[in-house]
Amino acid sequence: MIDALFEPFTYAYMARAVWICALVGGVCAFLSCFLMLKGWSLIGDALGHSIVPGVAMAYLLGLPYAVGAFFSGLLAAASMLLVKQKTKLREDAVIGLIFTSFFAVGLLLVSINPTAVNIQGIILGNILTISAGDALQVVIISLASLLVLVLKWKDFLAVFFDESHARSIGLPVRGLQVVFFTLLSATTVAALQAVGACLVIALVVTPGATAYLLTDRFGRLICLAVLFGAVTSALGVYASFFFDTNPGGLIVSLQAALFVVALLFAPKHGIYAKRRALRLAAAGGAHG
Amino acid sequence: MPNAAHCALPQRGAHMDSFIAFFTEPLAQAFMQRALLMSLLIAMVCSIFSCFLILKGWSLMGDAVSHAILPGLALAFVAGIPLMVGAFVAGISCAFLTGYVKENSRIKEDAAMGIIFSGMFAVGLVLLSRIETDVHLMHVLFGNVLGVSMEDLLTSGSIAFLCAFIMFIKRRDLMLFCFDPAHARVIGLPVKLLHFGLLILLALTIVSALQSVGIILVIAMLIAPGAIGFLLSRTFDGMLLVAFCASLFSCISGTLLSYHFDVATAPLIVVIQAAIFLLALFAGREKHDQKA
Repeated sequence: MIDALFEPFTYAYMARAVWICALVGGVCAFLSCFLMLKGWSLIGDALGHSIVPGVAMAYLLGLPYAVGAFFSGLLAAASMLLVKQKTKLREDAVIGLIFTSFFAVGLLLVSINPTAVNIQGIILGNILTISAGDALQVVIISLASLLVLVLKWKDFLAVFFDESHARSIGLPVRGLQVVFFTLLSATTVAALQAVGACLVIALVVTPGATAYLLTDRFGRLICLAVLFGAVTSALGVYASFFFDTNPGGLIVSLQAALFVVALLFAPKHGIYAKRRALRLAAAGGAHG
Repeated sequence: MPNAAHCALPQRGAHMDSFIAFFTEPLAQAFMQRALLMSLLIAMVCSIFSCFLILKGWSLMGDAVSHAILPGLALAFVAGIPLMVGAFVAGISCAFLTGYVKENSRIKEDAAMGIIFSGMFAVGLVLLSRIETDVHLMHVLFGNVLGVSMEDLLTSGSIAFLCAFIMFIKRRDLMLFCFDPAHARVIGLPVKLLHFGLLILLALTIVSALQSVGIILVIAMLIAPGAIGFLLSRTFDGMLLVAFCASLFSCISGTLLSYHFDVATAPLIVVIQAAIFLLALFAGREKHDQKA
């Protein structure tokens, strides 16, 4: 019985996938706290799709995939800024236009040479079959991002939620913003390997939103989000061994399920708690 | 593709022939006829829709609804109902759930949308990998316009045609609703009905495009034409016309070129649309500079 539970860990690729996913899930969850509160959730989606042509290109040319992905993400961000400056199109239209176009370029590149690129891996993640070199890239990216975030989260908090205060205490606001978005792109690249382009958005939104239903303090929000992100990611990969399914799908399904539980039953901000509070208030009003 | 070499032959007097062959050769094949017809229908409905979505600021709603239909396909297969019905129900429930979460919790709309559609997509992935279905995941994601059967053409085509027709007839009301909902309410338009109507039309449009361009690239079809129209035209009817022409051109040229160069059709259509957008962007900018 116990042996069966530990069976996945007897395979080196499973053990590696579990802890890499936990790491990536944790870092993404850290970032999700900021994205979710700022209303930037869909940037994660846009980045996840925009880096696809870079990854395809990197595989075609035999470069490290992270380089291609990062370059392509940068290009997408620059195009979004350009189009936004030049036109009166709404922001959501600009984001949607650019990321779908980039994604289409990626697919076109793949269709020119379908054997060189594992398209299913890009779209759905390939954490179980990841090569040692790619795994190393993911781990380095995640650890570096985590380190910066742990050291600087209070500064990011000030920069994104109280910019004038951040300026007055002499923080390099512009620089910190650049660092944050660099971290986000780098983390997206890592998340792409874990869950694939379509589900990157979940890793950088859902854990933060789930934690936000459970606490009002930012420090706790981060701790809870990272905990949720890491545990669901590890558990998703682990369970995919038994269910024989795509690990990315399972990770995100778990995260979504956790969100639903929090949405319904959170002690203060959950739907049932709010209903109860309303009922009590109504009863109190009638009584008084 | 043998004819790619044929087209490139620089024979004197053969230019016209090869130019005509560029069109006639693909169209001699029945599957190419169906593919072209299908992409024309999708171009029509998506281009009209994209103009409303651009005005309403719902561009990313298309993203959410299209990803969310995945579990619907799997469940419809299990239940033995038409796949399109399942897809439609799933798409529409994503839109409604997003609204519900936004109204009933402290989660912002964009986060709610992201959580719900990614969650549904993930559940769809798990279901599809667990259930034996005849739904081919890669076809759902990227479409397979060259494999469209006559039956698909009829069902998807009639849905697309119906949506385009409703939107065209109701374009004044819908435009006012998208542009200025407060004003629409004041002059007595049924705003709630228009809101849900537009969501239902969105889900239907996406379902109809499922076969040909797939659920990821349909998002581009639902944004780019409207954005091109927005850049090049000052009136709404003009925007509709420009969007329609741009979409039509990219669909026809994309389908034909993909045949000749042996690349994927739907991505090529989207890339051509993006190229037209770029042209429009710089053309529009010149005009602006001249005035300034």
